[in-house]
Amino acid sequence: MTFSIIARCSETGRLGLGIATFSIAAGGRCEGIRFGAGICKTQAYVKRDNDLLALELLEQGMSPAGVMQALEDNDPDHAWRQIAIIDRAGKAAAHTGTGCRPWAGHHIGDGFVACGNVLAGPKVIDGIVAGFLRAPGAALEFRLLAALEGGRDSGGQTGAEGHLTERSAAIFVASEPDHFDIDVRVDLHDDAVTELRRVLEEFKLYEVFYRERGLRPDLAMTQSQFVATLKARA
Amino acid sequence: MTYTILGRCAKTGRVGIGIATFSITVGRYAHCARSNAGVTISQAFANENNNAIALRLLDQGFSAQAVLEHLKANDAYYTYRQIGVIDRTGAAAAYTGPGVRGWAGEVAGDNYIATGNGLVGQHVVAAIARGFLAEPDTDLEHRLLMGIEYGRDAGGQGTAGDHKPERSSALLVYSRHVHPDIDLRVDLHATAVEELRRIYVEYKQYEAYYRYRGEHPRGALSQEAFMKTIAAVA
Repeated sequence: MTFSIIARCSETGRLGLGIATFSIAAGGRCEGIRFGAGICKTQAYVKRDNDLLALELLEQGMSPAGVMQALEDNDPDHAWRQIAIIDRAGKAAAHTGTGCRPWAGHHIGDGFVACGNVLAGPKVIDGIVAGFLRAPGAALEFRLLAALEGGRDSGGQTGAEGHLTERSAAIFVASEPDHFDIDVRVDLHDDAVTELRRVLEEFKLYEVFYRERGLRPDLAMTQSQFVATLKARA
Repeated sequence: MTYTILGRCAKTGRVGIGIATFSITVGRYAHCARSNAGVTISQAFANENNNAIALRLLDQGFSAQAVLEHLKANDAYYTYRQIGVIDRTGAAAAYTGPGVRGWAGEVAGDNYIATGNGLVGQHVVAAIARGFLAEPDTDLEHRLLMGIEYGRDAGGQGTAGDHKPERSSALLVYSRHVHPDIDLRVDLHATAVEELRRIYVEYKQYEAYYRYRGEHPRGALSQEAFMKTIAAVA
């Protein structure tokens, strides 16, 4: 029970991942994004070290299809995994094993993969894709958020006893190797995608301030002063 | 303004961090532990690449003190940084530059560093260390969380007349795996340490289930069925 999107921005080369799920703290199980290598997201029944193994292979230059084959060869339970892979050039591969709980499926687009399991139906994937494609000129983090919102608004997850809420959600975007540009999470909430928008929008207000004060601490105003400028602007 | 406990469990070799701050999304700046390598943090005016550099050096086998020397040599604004490093032997090295604002400093010993800046006083880091050392036989994540709760209860950030709330927090622990054992976050909240405790308590109920269903997908309980077993116990 999860829906997610991984994508490479064709204009900037930035790599990103968005995820929302009924499980809690899902953002703490998203190691599979590394600038210069690519992205791998394993979900449904997760083989925990798949994503880092995939990054090692992507970094060596293996294609997404080759990486997927290697993951299959390494895993007797590959049929229970849902896996999406994108390399640093934007080529993609995806796998939804027959053991994943229904409805489960994926869509491979130009530079992105949308996938999910325990969903209300294929319309959820359609919603994720439509959200992602709606504003192609927007920053990747907002395209990923629109994708998650599209998935939520198309019905999201449906378990044995009906609709399952999003209890956790996360967005990561990388444009350099040693830290993420965007790394926002909601680990336990009744409406995690809505809360994720709140956190992302707030972070965007601070993003430049936080970066600049680290780069030029000698010129930095205090955070209290900065917060006052935000209040004055509002 | 931030306070942090870096810790290593002498019995198991697990390493981790607990961190709380007025800044938002602090977990973005705390990808800072690695299995069989160590744990580190760069805070105050953070050099965003320091954590990744330090982890690579720790992984290569440099001592905590040597890592600190490398970071110093690599940074024109080193005197604005506050940095802690614990290596895989448990040796600790810490630095608080003269450019760091507010009350700032640390208490360090074998296997731990309590460090902070913009604090109400030295007693905050002393309390963090006390919290970490209070129950030495318990799990590292519990000890780290105790550390930051003691820091909060000792007054946390700000000055005598101007308390700054904790708006974000994070808890991260690695053991022998390449992925974290514990990776929990609160990115934007009015009382982020209390919220981290809430998520921690909830996550601990799911931790073994999430691991088991990935390792044994054939016949795994659905999450809905698992939650009924929690409810039955409660």
